[in-house]
Amino acid sequence: MDFQWDAAQQEFRTTVRTFLEQHLPADWESLAHGPGSETQSTFSKRFCAQLAQAGLLVPHWPSRWGGRDADAWTAFILAEEMWAVGEPRGGQYMNVNWIGPTLMRFGTDEQQATYIPPMAGGQTIWCQGFSEPEAGSDLASLRTRAERDGAAYRINGQKIWTSYAGHADTCFLLARTAPGKTGMSIFLVPMDTPGITVRQIPSIIGEGDIHEVFFDDVRVPAGALLGAEGQAWEIARNALSLERVGIPRFALAACSLRRAVSALQRAGRLGQGAMEQSARALAACEAARLYSYHIVDQRQHGAPTGPEASAARYATVMAERLAGDFVVEHCPDALAGSDPLLLAHHQRAIVAGIASGAAEIQLNLIASELLRLPREPR
Amino acid sequence: MDFTLSSDQSALMSALDRLAAPFEQKPTDFHGFALAGPRLEQELENGEYFGIARIPELGALTAAMAVERLAWLPYSVEIALSMLVHPQLGDEWQRPLALVENGRPGRFLATARTALVVDGDHIGLARVAAGEVVPVDSIFAYPMGRFSRTPQVTACSATDAAKLRKWLRIALAAEISGLLHAAIASTVEHLSLRKQFGRQLGTFQALRHRMAECAVLAGGVRWLTLKAAATAEDGDAALAALHAQDSATRIVYDLHQMLGAMGMTLEHPLHLWTYRVKALLSELGGRSGQAQAAARYCFAGA
Repeated sequence: MDFQWDAAQQEFRTTVRTFLEQHLPADWESLAHGPGSETQSTFSKRFCAQLAQAGLLVPHWPSRWGGRDADAWTAFILAEEMWAVGEPRGGQYMNVNWIGPTLMRFGTDEQQATYIPPMAGGQTIWCQGFSEPEAGSDLASLRTRAERDGAAYRINGQKIWTSYAGHADTCFLLARTAPGKTGMSIFLVPMDTPGITVRQIPSIIGEGDIHEVFFDDVRVPAGALLGAEGQAWEIARNALSLERVGIPRFALAACSLRRAVSALQRAGRLGQGAMEQSARALAACEAARLYSYHIVDQRQHGAPTGPEASAARYATVMAERLAGDFVVEHCPDALAGSDPLLLAHHQRAIVAGIASGAAEIQLNLIASELLRLPREPR
Repeated sequence: MDFTLSSDQSALMSALDRLAAPFEQKPTDFHGFALAGPRLEQELENGEYFGIARIPELGALTAAMAVERLAWLPYSVEIALSMLVHPQLGDEWQRPLALVENGRPGRFLATARTALVVDGDHIGLARVAAGEVVPVDSIFAYPMGRFSRTPQVTACSATDAAKLRKWLRIALAAEISGLLHAAIASTVEHLSLRKQFGRQLGTFQALRHRMAECAVLAGGVRWLTLKAAATAEDGDAALAALHAQDSATRIVYDLHQMLGAMGMTLEHPLHLWTYRVKALLSELGGRSGQAQAAARYCFAGA
């Protein structure tokens, strides 16, 4: 067991930090607010293209798809550094973390050739069409239907809370092709397909972040189906397991905490109570970091990701809450215009236990699979 | 960064599992607070386990894992200080060790040969002679003692005191980590067996979520502890001790709540872990003291 980074890992981290110093514009922090906004979406395409040119967008992908077969640690170091500065990749982090790898595993040759190169070039934004008004944590209740119509599917239904939908090129859509849990399928749907309507939902978490997406007789070719009909559960579980620890939220939380403490120190306002509170939040951030490292280490060794991923996710939720609360209590001016990065962190932190699956679902998984408590009756 | 155990670490932990096996259960006729384990201590001594940290292939990280593993046992044996703090002392200071803080009763003082005497920011060392200590009755699940007269203390330099305090924090965190693990496991067993309203208690979501949160907190304590033992950084040690005392405060409350009246009895073993944890909550300044130290170390350059 070794908690030290090796020389190559340290060098890679330095490379990423140097890139960020050289390529993030002076006004980046004001852009970090509203990761789904038009400004940030436009910026992310420019920035991700630069990352791709430098070999820093998808280093962990196979060389066949524009990567260099780097390991799981490389991918995570990259993600940590990106999140620590407010995630300048915007919604494209999803492409890098799980949409690309999911298409590599389940996609046809044509789907891979169509969708993966733009992702590897940093030129495309995706959205994830999972949640519906009647199907949030209970995804099996989803109602959006995809009916076979000759050589096509006709899709009808509604998605909600869809991040980045306003500027997404493609939707990773979950729809029902038959009744029951085994009747769900995944479709890759271009967002400019006739019949799709996107409506932004004004929210606390920033401009352009969440949307309603309506599908009215949307016709997509049969080739839009990812995998087989009814394979959605397997694909979604795979994707969610990549997503669950794919976002090192603790990195931005710890960074925000340091920034807030520094501001208080400079102002001579870091009293004993605040000092102790900041340490508690930092301990939670570092605990979440090590939990996540444990999962990355499992991936690195080819071990299946178990319920520890849920524990890592929940530890991150706890850390986000403590760091966010610290800023609200001791640096409220940050939420009133004085520090856009702390505001951006706050907006991301408040959804930490909601996005990518409710934290309570993780607690259930931990209770059943980690603690081995008897399951609830259904 | 690699969390796989080395072959030496795996072999050591397997050997500890075998050694610990006869001591996993509380004797059914024991209904007291501190369950002494002289035979366990002798076996650890015979196997030279107290010197794990001094073996280059194993080191302090493995010693912390051993402390944590042995804290799963219901027996109270002076292991953590010997394995993690004693290597920092000169050869003239012999184990077992005891920690006496600000004149309060100390754990293991009655059987210790060396006492670490903490007085505010100062730490000194004292040889413990027979007749200088009186046992103290308490509800803590450690044997407690008090000096019957003021001991002869050799003061440590500020540098040595800081180093000792760091390793005391790591030892504290490692022991709490193991105790929490065992207490949670014991509570899970109860929730899996006990039925109310026609169902096992563990099927009720209100309890499941609280237990899951306890498990996440305890797991965080473990990771922070192992990292602190590996890096030997002051900030890591303070964060580990802080998270340990902070999390333990909440977890111990929840576990006793889950066991209801059964957890109040001396028949059930829960107190053998939780009332060791409670004795550790006040050490080294308690969580407030750890938090201030962690903030000083970790935000120095913020």
